[in-house]
Amino acid sequence: MNIDETVRKYQAYYCLDCGVCTGSCPVSRVLSTFSPRIIVEKALLELGDELLQDRELWSCLTCGRCFERCPTKINFPEFMRALREEASRLGTRPVLSHHGMLQIIMEMQCQGVHQNKVAWAREAGRIAERGDTFFFVGCMPYFEVIFRDIGVDSLSISRKVIQVLNAAGIVPVVNNEEACCGHDMLWNGRFDLFEKLAARNLDLIRQSGAKRVVFSCPEGYYTFLHHYPQYFGELGFEVIHFYDLVEQMLADGALKLQNGSGVTTYHDPCRLGRMAGIYESPRRILEKLPDTRFVEMERNRENAVCCGTSGWANCSTCSKQIQVERLREAEATGAKTLVTACPKCQIHLNCALGNMNLDLKIKDLITLIADGVSG
Amino acid sequence: MEMTRELLTLMGIDQERLALEWVSSAEGTRFAEIVTSFTEKVRKLGRSPLGVAA
Repeated sequence: MNIDETVRKYQAYYCLDCGVCTGSCPVSRVLSTFSPRIIVEKALLELGDELLQDRELWSCLTCGRCFERCPTKINFPEFMRALREEASRLGTRPVLSHHGMLQIIMEMQCQGVHQNKVAWAREAGRIAERGDTFFFVGCMPYFEVIFRDIGVDSLSISRKVIQVLNAAGIVPVVNNEEACCGHDMLWNGRFDLFEKLAARNLDLIRQSGAKRVVFSCPEGYYTFLHHYPQYFGELGFEVIHFYDLVEQMLADGALKLQNGSGVTTYHDPCRLGRMAGIYESPRRILEKLPDTRFVEMERNRENAVCCGTSGWANCSTCSKQIQVERLREAEATGAKTLVTACPKCQIHLNCALGNMNLDLKIKDLITLIADGVSG
Repeated sequence: MEMTRELLTLMGIDQERLALEWVSSAEGTRFAEIVTSFTEKVRKLGRSPLGVAA
């Protein structure tokens, strides 16, 4: 899709030039050269070449805070994604984080490797080859290795999902051949690779006979919920987030929460909150934990700020500044625990916390749920 | 190195395909030996699981 088509598809010509997008953008706050409004304007003024070669094209966090507030509802994240696809087709690439290691892992998964990534799951609990419930693990086994040095234990989230499911009598399907969901490739402008990964996953899940797929990661959840049907049509199975299951299990009495966590606050991930519209279930679960006092940060729900970097690209001092501000905001609430709901938020905020002297711990909501589970 | 090995295992790629050796610029013969023996080893391991696209 060239720039003209992109402008038409996302009706960017409705832009009022009001600047609410730039005023809402967490990147513009710390990087004065970045402005969503100017990007839209350049597209409208047919300054395409300049736009597609601009490094700032990759600085957008695609967090959707601008879209949330835009008076003419221009879907800036999707508009940005289309521009990136075009830029990528012309050979422009973002600055990849971690030397592009994560993108290499994703690309390799498109080349017919047979992964060996579920050994931990057999140790964590009972899993099945076929069944009604498929647990989509995502990148967690890789994160576990890559981010061990900053003290993030990503895989413990997946282990706890299996344990909670088992406790409720569900034996989930976990499969070695499950590929990356394609989220990052999609937002990196690599639609070709997204398509391959998604097709592999759809085949695999359909073969497993699963009627529903459970996600613990908001990115996988949102990609399956929104982009898979957009490009592949009817999925033939239900896509649910683990928190929905937890709430259902709490209501049925299949799950009881026991241990609390003192004063806690919650960081909304953009894919789960603004994009998938899940704001309340994590809060309801937190409020059900005994001995826990839940406090809100000033910027919450649709006003929450991104964890500072997305799609493993263009992580910079600006990302760090966004993270530091967010962590100070969490501390200012008086909370001792900052609860995250996305493995990447957990990684990014932990990375910044390591260089700060704050009396604050970061804990994933699923870990918190599992710690609070009785029998 | 340890981390790369772990990642390769997850990807289902034989760890034997990874090696790290330090060779000084004065050790031409050693460099040739290492490269030759590693090439031989990889050849014996056969085709890589990569590039056999699904």
